[in-house]
Amino acid sequence: MSVAAHTEAASPVPVGRLSLLRRVPLLASLLGLLMVAATAEIVLDGAVGHSPLIPESPDISSWLTGIGERLGFRVFLIALLVSSVAYAGIVAASRLRGRGGISGRWAIGLVGLLHLIVFVGPVLLSTDVFSYIAYARMGVEHGVNPYLNGPQAIHFDPVFRYVGPDWRKAASAYGPLYTLISYPFAPLGLVGALWAMKVEALLASAGTLALVWRCAELRGFDPVRALLIVGANPLYFVYGLGGAHNDLVMMLAMMGAVALTLGAEGTSTRREGSAAALIVAGAMIKATVGTLLPFMIVARRRLAPIVGAVVSFVVVALAGYAVFGIHGVNIVAALNRDASFVSSDSFADEIAHLLGKPGVFPIDHDLLKVALVLIVLHLLWRTWRGYDWVAASGWALLAISVTSTWVLAWYILWPLPLAAICKDRRLLAATLFVQGLFVVHQMVPLLVPGG
Amino acid sequence: MIDFTTPSSNSDRFFDRLPHWLRPRTVELPGKGYLRMVELVVLVLVGLFLAVATVNDVGRGVNIGKRLKVDMNTWRVYTHHDYKNIGVDQTLLGTGTSKEVVCGNDSPGPPKERVQICLMVEGPTRAGLREVTGGWYLGAFVQEDNFEDRYGCFGKAGAKGLCPR
Repeated sequence: MSVAAHTEAASPVPVGRLSLLRRVPLLASLLGLLMVAATAEIVLDGAVGHSPLIPESPDISSWLTGIGERLGFRVFLIALLVSSVAYAGIVAASRLRGRGGISGRWAIGLVGLLHLIVFVGPVLLSTDVFSYIAYARMGVEHGVNPYLNGPQAIHFDPVFRYVGPDWRKAASAYGPLYTLISYPFAPLGLVGALWAMKVEALLASAGTLALVWRCAELRGFDPVRALLIVGANPLYFVYGLGGAHNDLVMMLAMMGAVALTLGAEGTSTRREGSAAALIVAGAMIKATVGTLLPFMIVARRRLAPIVGAVVSFVVVALAGYAVFGIHGVNIVAALNRDASFVSSDSFADEIAHLLGKPGVFPIDHDLLKVALVLIVLHLLWRTWRGYDWVAASGWALLAISVTSTWVLAWYILWPLPLAAICKDRRLLAATLFVQGLFVVHQMVPLLVPGG
Repeated sequence: MIDFTTPSSNSDRFFDRLPHWLRPRTVELPGKGYLRMVELVVLVLVGLFLAVATVNDVGRGVNIGKRLKVDMNTWRVYTHHDYKNIGVDQTLLGTGTSKEVVCGNDSPGPPKERVQICLMVEGPTRAGLREVTGGWYLGAFVQEDNFEDRYGCFGKAGAKGLCPR
């Protein structure tokens, strides 16, 4: 039975509510139009370049110039604010589905259009994609190990000038599987590799959204609402897709594993083993997704996930070791390095300022790690006693992003797909609340007179 | 209906020897909701704390933004140059001290490609300006404000030995 048909068959609705429901499509269309307009403004203005919000990049979007003006903080922040408010409205409206409410076709159209607009535009808000390309070119074009050297080692390569100044001496912190996946892009040239990265991010996002839809169906939730929660989230498509971040590839692996497990409710040990293997493979793309594994194992209490995880780890680690040596599989060292960074958007930094301190001190890093360990232990105990492991994993990812001193917009996306399909609705509220605080924190330039 | 008193699956027989409260479960016990309530209270308190910290940080950022505009205005008034590309360093004289160093070219040209005048600015804002307590010069094409690149220190900068002798 289709979703629309399913909701059509619901119990009778009071007349007042019915009249409200009749207005949902119109309201959603207006909000969707606002989102599309705001996103188009960001992309068209961003295509002009010469903006602190648009990283210096090879020319991939000059065909869009001539319509927009240079993207300033004020326009960007207003567009982000408009998108966020419209998103909140659409998510709220999606609860009122049924009897002519938001249709699946409309939701897919909106999410597809937002993705398309961002995809054809310039790289937004981050230089990370150039680091990915640099690491690939180091290995393929120059025979330099990206786990032992930073892009500085290929300062003569055309990609070097586009790598963020802070990352030029930094060896890769990404998993060996991601680096191997990006290797075929290296011979495509700089522009070719950049488009390949954008296509990869687009496909990863599409795959993630398809799996969110599937998982929502498997759990008996409204798939249209789940799709809108993730796919129409401004941080997801503006920051995540706009920057072609590999977090989207990681999330694809994450949702693939969750879908396999949900499809295996009952006795399919092969699917559970495959799910665990996929989580480990995801962790070899970006380590964060490994957070799901202990929750899955504790929830299932079977041998299959453990065997799947071990086999996957051995295979990928051996491949990584063969290509990159021991540094290619030493993900812990990379995580420790990143954990020592501090970003101005981190809650740790904000709390330090609230307490009258100039910033985060080493003792604060230790306190935050202790807090995170306690939270994870509590969640593991709850999972052991029957709590939804998908929700527990989502809470753990949210806790990581909140307690980390290095927070970026695409880090607070990690728990979102899980929040959209989990049984504990508090997780969705908490995730969107944290994202809302992030958006509020960006608004400083808008509030400084003449800023 | 789910039997909450028995282990969740055959594979859980291994855990039968554990005390009742330690045994794993596939579905949570309905209970009286105390744990959920405690979790919810903690979540609300943490959320409020994060919200206060965020709003406080936004206010702090706005104040810093206003002060930086005053600093740049002070530099323009002091040097009589109405230039756009002026840099403000908030950390050189101590993080969180609100004492800043403002640098800009002393003659028209691309940023940092002329001799630069750097001013130490501190104190409260009066009539849209802050007090200039000292400063120094940097040579043309000097990208970073390093000790060895400074010369001609004046005011507090000279007294504090911020230039090489």
